[in-house]
Amino acid sequence: MASHGVARPAISVVRTDEQLHEEQQRIQEYRDLEELIRAKIAEEQYTVEVLDLTSKLLKENPEYYTIWNVRRRLLIYGLFSKSSDSSSPSKASQNTSPTDTTQTSSIPSSASTSTIPADSNTIQHDPISQTRGKTGTTLDLISADLEFLFPIMMKFPKCYWLWNYRLWLLHQANERLDWQIARGLWTRELVLVGKMLVKDSRNFHGWGYRRTVVAQLESQKLHGSSMVESEFEYTTKVIHGDKGLSNFSAWHRRSKLIPKLLEERQADDPTRRQFLDDEFDLIIAAMYTDSYPYAQSAWFYYQFLMTTLTDPVGHATITPNFTSEERIEFLVRQLEVLKDMLDGAEDCKWIYDALIEYTLCLSRMEERQLQIDEKDDCSQWLTELRKLDTLRSGRWVDLELDLRGNNIPGV
Amino acid sequence: MSLVSGPGRAGTTGLPEELRLVIEPHVKYIQSLDSRRDELEYWLTEHLRLNGLYWGLTALHLLGRPDALPRQETIDFVLSCQSDNGGFGAAPGHDAHLLSTCSAIQILVMVNAIDELEKKGKGEGGGKMGVANYIAALQNRDTGTFAGDEWGEEDTRFLYTGLNGLSLLHLMDLVDVDLAVQYIMSCANFDGGYGVSPGAESHSGQIFACLAALSIAKRLDVVNVDKLGRWLSERQVEAGGLNGRPEKLEDVCYSWWVASSLTMIGKLHWIDGSKLTQFILKCQDPENGGIADRPGDMVDVFHTVFGLAGLSLLGHPDLEEVDATYCMPKRIIERVLG
Ligand SMILES: [Zn+2]
Repeated sequence: MASHGVARPAISVVRTDEQLHEEQQRIQEYRDLEELIRAKIAEEQYTVEVLDLTSKLLKENPEYYTIWNVRRRLLIYGLFSKSSDSSSPSKASQNTSPTDTTQTSSIPSSASTSTIPADSNTIQHDPISQTRGKTGTTLDLISADLEFLFPIMMKFPKCYWLWNYRLWLLHQANERLDWQIARGLWTRELVLVGKMLVKDSRNFHGWGYRRTVVAQLESQKLHGSSMVESEFEYTTKVIHGDKGLSNFSAWHRRSKLIPKLLEERQADDPTRRQFLDDEFDLIIAAMYTDSYPYAQSAWFYYQFLMTTLTDPVGHATITPNFTSEERIEFLVRQLEVLKDMLDGAEDCKWIYDALIEYTLCLSRMEERQLQIDEKDDCSQWLTELRKLDTLRSGRWVDLELDLRGNNIPGV
Repeated sequence: MSLVSGPGRAGTTGLPEELRLVIEPHVKYIQSLDSRRDELEYWLTEHLRLNGLYWGLTALHLLGRPDALPRQETIDFVLSCQSDNGGFGAAPGHDAHLLSTCSAIQILVMVNAIDELEKKGKGEGGGKMGVANYIAALQNRDTGTFAGDEWGEEDTRFLYTGLNGLSLLHLMDLVDVDLAVQYIMSCANFDGGYGVSPGAESHSGQIFACLAALSIAKRLDVVNVDKLGRWLSERQVEAGGLNGRPEKLEDVCYSWWVASSLTMIGKLHWIDGSKLTQFILKCQDPENGGIADRPGDMVDVFHTVFGLAGLSLLGHPDLEEVDATYCMPKRIIERVLG
């Protein structure tokens, strides 16, 4: 219903009788399959056979969220509990009501109760061997389902329900299996999402999924520890890769990792200062070497670095203890860098935009009015902006008003 | 070339054909959607039936044809999608989900039939309360955000749809609005935008959801208007259309998410409205109606409504005025919310 990038035929296609007939048959088959699944579920037939029926339907239509839910119910009310010779399905279903899952799957915490009926009240077997026996089959079910999903995800990488269901499965592993085994599954996910991001380095779901997987691998529950260093390195790798400079997703992720990174390194003030210097060098070198300074992603990252100097909220991210003199010193240096960058890139509106913004910032930070030469510069840069970027002319009108507020006569 | 005063193609007066809004074909296209039962696609998209009805009905309202779908059938269909837990599924027999539940409320409000919900609604407390309780139970009381359904996936889109539905029912006090606002603030990024959850990349769709939620909560004051306005205005590309994130392709549906967001923060004039209007109009199928994601592509009702809503925000004279927060006709929102 929401199609993207599908070309419209030049003339509307009239279907032949044969095609019509064929389509009716396919509709009938599809609806029969749907009916069959519903009937089986109404009879509470939570069996592998019905699971296979849902697989068949979901391969054709992965957007059918109700059938993914059917699949979840098949597993938690039926197959997971049947997978052990001595467990009772009713017990499992009591413990794993959907509402229960709401809490445990979204916020994986120690509060999530194990649903493996291993408590001695109902089962007299050795609890350890019981869990082990169960682990094998529950793991089989989860692994098989993860594998079933993979080709569908490669085919429909933007289907929300697929990512969603996959995470649910992995949370089930957290609840039902030994932590080492669950950890093994999550570790494989990191490899998998890495591959998907190679295929499409901007996939929104992919980046979100990566964050979730990493958070799990870092969690106490899975005996994890921080992965900030390796994730930071990953963003560096992506940025230096093909079209990396314009990979806003990677820059964004980097911006979120930095505060934690510095904290974990227990970076002192000189180290932080050096870090900021290095990040500026990275982004500016990137602007010079890649497609020159026209990639907006890089400019947004540059903006992020600048907020550590200019914006009280941003200060804390890299250099919380900078004196205002130090911030001003860095800002002045960046203004010089920007002016140099103009040489040969006179048609790059991003530079003019940045120059005006940070010239105004500087005067604010030094608690003074704009100087005459700064006013002249700003008014000239604004003229360039208007010429270069007519789409946003409304913004330049507002910017002019801002500058007027700074008493720039004639701008 | 200016859309309003342009000379048009050689030999014609007024606008070139491709830049004229074709009202009647769009109406016919939307009316035809439910009569396509002989197409497999119709059955494969059943999981969007209720959303589709909301999109189609909203489009018809904006086109000035609010009665183009049979009212009683519409109401009966919507009510037939309600589950015993009070939530609505996408179609009869489909599981309840917040997205379809919000669509159900929006449709019932548009056809002025909340009283029918009062009479026949299911769920705890029945009537309006039944569905409102379903929504309220999906709020995560620790963080303020919302899950989409009983299985627990959380996303700022759900936070928005939750507040949207509850506010239309005048039952916002069932949830912790302050906590929801705090959650949105924790999703803010350095570029001024918002993501799915804290730490997630800014995305125009999520930005719309977060701003609209803040707008419903009357807390747009927490937005970094300047930064966000800049980022959003950079979504416009040379072709005139808007993209959802930096360096992605333009697409009609972002005409809505970006332009409504800019409207909510008072910066719609930071993009070129006339170029955007032209881009959307070029995505029409002028003969058979409907709007596509990009010129020459297949149309669908999703891009049709968001294209029309975008045009409406830009002040297209042939369209009803749309409300930037609810994506419903402004007149109706004023009637319901006063
Ligand atoms: Zn689209």
